[in-house]
Amino acid sequence: MTQAEIKLCSLLLQEHFGEIVEKIGTHLIKTGSQPLRVIANDTGMSLDQVKKALCVLIQHNLVTYQLQKRGFVEYEAPCSRVLRILRYPRYIYTAKTLYSDMGELIVEELLLNGKMTMSAVVRKVANRLTETMEDGKTMDYGEVSNTFVRLADTHFIQRCPMAPETTETSAAPPPPAPTLAVNEKDMYVVPNLNLIGKGKRRRSFDDEDNGEHEAKRQKQDADGKEPPPDDGIYWQANIDRFHQHFRDQAIVSAVANRMDQTSSEIVRTMLRMSEITTSSNAPYTQPLSSNEIFRSLPAGYNIVKQILDQYLTLLADDPLEFVGKSGDSGGGMYVINLHKALATLATATLESVVQERFGSRCARIFRLLLRKKHLEQKQVEDFAMIPAKEAKDMLYKMLSENFVSLQEIPKTPDHAPSRTFYLYTVNTLSSARMLLHRCYKSVANLIERRQYETKENKRLLEKSQRVEAILASMQATGAEEVQLQEIEEMITAPERQQLENLKRNVNKIDASENQVDETIFVLESYIESTVKKP
Amino acid sequence: MPHMEPQQRAMAINRLLSVGQLDLLRSNTGLLYRIKESQNAGKMKGSDNQEKLVYQIIEDAANKGIWSRDIRYKSNLPLTEINKILKNLESKKLIKAVKSVAASKKKVYMLYNLQPDRSVTGGAWYSDQDFESEFVEVLNQQCCKFLQTKVELSMEDIETILNTLIYDGKVEMTIIAAKEGTVGSVDGHMKLYRAVNPIIQPTGLIRTPCGLCPVFDDCHEGGEISPSNCIYMAEWLEF
Repeated sequence: MTQAEIKLCSLLLQEHFGEIVEKIGTHLIKTGSQPLRVIANDTGMSLDQVKKALCVLIQHNLVTYQLQKRGFVEYEAPCSRVLRILRYPRYIYTAKTLYSDMGELIVEELLLNGKMTMSAVVRKVANRLTETMEDGKTMDYGEVSNTFVRLADTHFIQRCPMAPETTETSAAPPPPAPTLAVNEKDMYVVPNLNLIGKGKRRRSFDDEDNGEHEAKRQKQDADGKEPPPDDGIYWQANIDRFHQHFRDQAIVSAVANRMDQTSSEIVRTMLRMSEITTSSNAPYTQPLSSNEIFRSLPAGYNIVKQILDQYLTLLADDPLEFVGKSGDSGGGMYVINLHKALATLATATLESVVQERFGSRCARIFRLLLRKKHLEQKQVEDFAMIPAKEAKDMLYKMLSENFVSLQEIPKTPDHAPSRTFYLYTVNTLSSARMLLHRCYKSVANLIERRQYETKENKRLLEKSQRVEAILASMQATGAEEVQLQEIEEMITAPERQQLENLKRNVNKIDASENQVDETIFVLESYIESTVKKP
Repeated sequence: MPHMEPQQRAMAINRLLSVGQLDLLRSNTGLLYRIKESQNAGKMKGSDNQEKLVYQIIEDAANKGIWSRDIRYKSNLPLTEINKILKNLESKKLIKAVKSVAASKKKVYMLYNLQPDRSVTGGAWYSDQDFESEFVEVLNQQCCKFLQTKVELSMEDIETILNTLIYDGKVEMTIIAAKEGTVGSVDGHMKLYRAVNPIIQPTGLIRTPCGLCPVFDDCHEGGEISPSNCIYMAEWLEF
């Protein structure tokens, strides 16, 4: 956990959960796993506050706990999980593209609440959708449940680990911390609920007649309701599955850029077929035969088997090496080299950064070094066809920014500089880590700037909020047009302009945070794929 | 010459050698004599043996030329003598000095009427020992445009330019097996080039000011340079 990561985590926690949670969360990230009393001691907060903050963090899957051998419980906050908060908008957007508004709202509710039961999710989402629909229409629970089941089937949401059933006859006192476990097979099994109902609208002022009835009915519901049939079965968003989806998207778009639409569709089909069969950090997918691919192509593509074979051969021979041929049975067995693809994407990101920061000639030298691994200064000039003075200047600039490193090979045992070879080389892994660190700091900078902009205009924002509240209440009580206009004019034109600017700036900074997060995703996936799991 | 005495033969040969009409060479079986061209014989008149020796060494180096230190090693003559001889030969316009492009201070000697080899002058990319970077750039652009319109291309003499395009990421190369005799094939292989697009769009980090900021490492909250008062951000938000 570098300084930049810790800063970013604390900013995210503060923005989403407030000061107290931020303090405790940051403390846990910095110091690793700690028991409750130590946390309270170190942060100087009361035990009660610490307990509440930990509850919030555990609910949102940001903190885990473990029963240690000596009998006390330690809490731990993995830094990487907190950084995922930055990616929530991307998860919600993906759900929207795959499962339209219903999927979007389900995933949004799950992410905002951490863990929820299915019935609670369905009810909330139905209510929200009903509000956006026209008057008189309501959203049926059944449709929402269907989408929920579909999300579970494709593993985008999963069950949370549950406490084991305690038997009544157990004499021993319950353990201080229950060990949560979930059966692999049950992780995506949706409970058999019979959810019947329709979404309810929030009470609006037009509905005065129905208002009383609704109030009564709701009270009855709250009192007379039995616990929902799926009490205790909580669901959460499956972040790894979303990451797998993003990775597949990146590979498909890279193939589309390099070749054409049809080959990218073929790659997308292959990836879809391997979604469930291949684990997320495997180096390559399971081999797929050309016949299987042909059968699984989307219905719209009427390409002949021969053309498909030609495309597959072309993909396998391409210097990019995303697709490889692993055998000849079944018309040819093909795999997708996932680790190779991630490495290529990360390298392309590095090249793009070098190009934008230092210029296209520097990018040429960078790519040259990537290909030829180690080169002397003279050889760099020769291959890249750049005059000696400029080449030297560019190499030193990249060296100072740590994109390029030197390898010394001495000719004599005394390492005399005049008798030593100095070879330039690029180490992609360390450059990727360096760039990742820079990304974290950039996002932290962007968030700080956004907060600063908002703080600068706080007075104006409060004023506009007050005016809006006055307007709303006046409209409700039926004020005249003239009075409404008077209130609106309380905000002068330049102030309105300032508000517009503020809104535009905040949106721009927000969008750019998401863009940097895309870079973070590519680099993190690459670095993770190079770590050898024991 | 069967009817001459060996001694007479030897005397005649020696005389011809000293006059410079014959060349003395050694072979596996013994000594060989070769009659010299008449103009060459005329040229060397007035030079002594040492000069002739040096001239022969330079001649052997053909169009790659030879460095003065190498001449010294081959002839075993002292440095002062070598310099005098070289100056002499140069003034007689028998040899010339060519500056090598590899080490610009090094002078290489070759026969007057020979063309320096590519490795010495750097070939087409150099004119008067200066790197023709503009020439390279122009060819770079032209090749790229050419490849984008044509499907296949295989040309040998601009292979180095094409390599730079590969390093630019605009072109990729494959090697295919080709029949001997087709244009451009070397040892049964042919190199084909194809223009390609980059595989990703410019990445997210560089779309923010922080990605390109020159003072990134000095920036922290509360300091002289901080996100709150960053001038690059202010300008970027104005767009």
